[in-house]
Amino acid sequence: MIGVYREFEGCMRLSGYVLRRLAVLARPPVAESLTRQIYFTGASATAGMVLRGAFIGTLIIAYVIDVLDANATLAVKILLWVVLREVGPLIAAVLVIQRSGTAVVTELALMQISGEIASLRHMRIDPRDYLVVPRVIGIALSTAALTFYVQLIAVGGGMLLSALTIDVPLNEMAGEFFALASPVDFVYSVIKSFLFGATIAVICCYHGLHPPGTSINAVPKAAINAVSQSTLLVMLLNVVFAYLVFGQAFFGLVTAKL
Amino acid sequence: MSPLEVALGYEAPAGRNGPRVWIPLGGSHRAAGLSEPQRRELVSTVLEVNAEPGARLVVLGVEVDGLRPAGRAALRDRIGFLPADGGLISSLNAWENIVLPTGFHHHRRLRGIEATVNRLVGGLGADPHELLSKLPERMTLYEKKLTGYVRIVLESPDLVLAEELLGGLGPEERTAAARFPAVYLESHPGGTFVQLEVAPAHE
Repeated sequence: MIGVYREFEGCMRLSGYVLRRLAVLARPPVAESLTRQIYFTGASATAGMVLRGAFIGTLIIAYVIDVLDANATLAVKILLWVVLREVGPLIAAVLVIQRSGTAVVTELALMQISGEIASLRHMRIDPRDYLVVPRVIGIALSTAALTFYVQLIAVGGGMLLSALTIDVPLNEMAGEFFALASPVDFVYSVIKSFLFGATIAVICCYHGLHPPGTSINAVPKAAINAVSQSTLLVMLLNVVFAYLVFGQAFFGLVTAKL
Repeated sequence: MSPLEVALGYEAPAGRNGPRVWIPLGGSHRAAGLSEPQRRELVSTVLEVNAEPGARLVVLGVEVDGLRPAGRAALRDRIGFLPADGGLISSLNAWENIVLPTGFHHHRRLRGIEATVNRLVGGLGADPHELLSKLPERMTLYEKKLTGYVRIVLESPDLVLAEELLGGLGPEERTAAARFPAVYLESHPGGTFVQLEVAPAHE
């Protein structure tokens, strides 16, 4: 229990450090590190995102219309509520944990064990400035961008593919969607996914910088801790966000008295 | 010797077999005969600019005991450290490793730095075009040491500590690496270059 509290405290301190040291991003090596992180997390992951997004969107519409025998309005409502607000940011977060989170924690833990973190200190470079700040900001921005891709592809691609495979006109679904969607949905999901990304990055960086040992065995242990904790925290944050913004959590089981 | 004339002075607390080093300011020197734990203690104490109670540490003419944190940090900025393996970051190529501290601390100095790097690397027996794009995993030990060394020279510290400078090198590489102190002193005439060498263990 004390260990969990220490890790939580360490992550909070690391988050505070990142917020205080944002100016360090202007230094050329850190700016380059930020660009690499955005490329790795945001740009090179898009192909997989497009496929998954289109698949999920089509699946939801097909399921609602074909299996549940519902109309286009309900299908679009579900697309909006489920994909746009909840599933889009969550899928982006899960993919970021799988791809970038594991890469970050493994890289930093190996650097710690092999003495490269000490080398940075010998150069009078705080490892948090050079390694953590660009990764947290890069992953947060990329997660927000990936969420946008997922939403766009899942909703747009889902409606398009459904129009081709199921007997529902595209313009009817698009009209329903734009009538129901509001800017709050987009702002909500962008802010939420930015926070998801920052949370994942802070947890992975913290575990990477503090592997549970000095042997190579500590690397997978650090990765397991980082992945399980960031997944859990993303789920918790999602519940908190849903409760704060829409007054309900756990798909309506807990509802706020507004 | 007055502390003002000392580049690096360290006396471990009395009563244990700690390192005792007393090196004058300026020029190239060797601190030989240290055991591995003594060398480790000396390096960590100097790089932290903080001696344990009962120990005495003098760096670049300044008694460290009693210095405020800002004074210690200013003193630390004047020390360069070259580990035995060059101390490189494995995900960066030689060029990125070389410019990392300069870009981080003094990014305005990056302008025109390429010519200096090419001159230093070329002058010490390596092909700049070949070396600068290499990742550490593809470098020889000499190339790693050279990369770490060029990185330090660009920072122009007043005191350089080099661990096992010639250790693990072939005859030609040893000759080239033996020129590191002279090349550093040419570019920084008032500086002090100290080679830290561990005494061979006896059975």
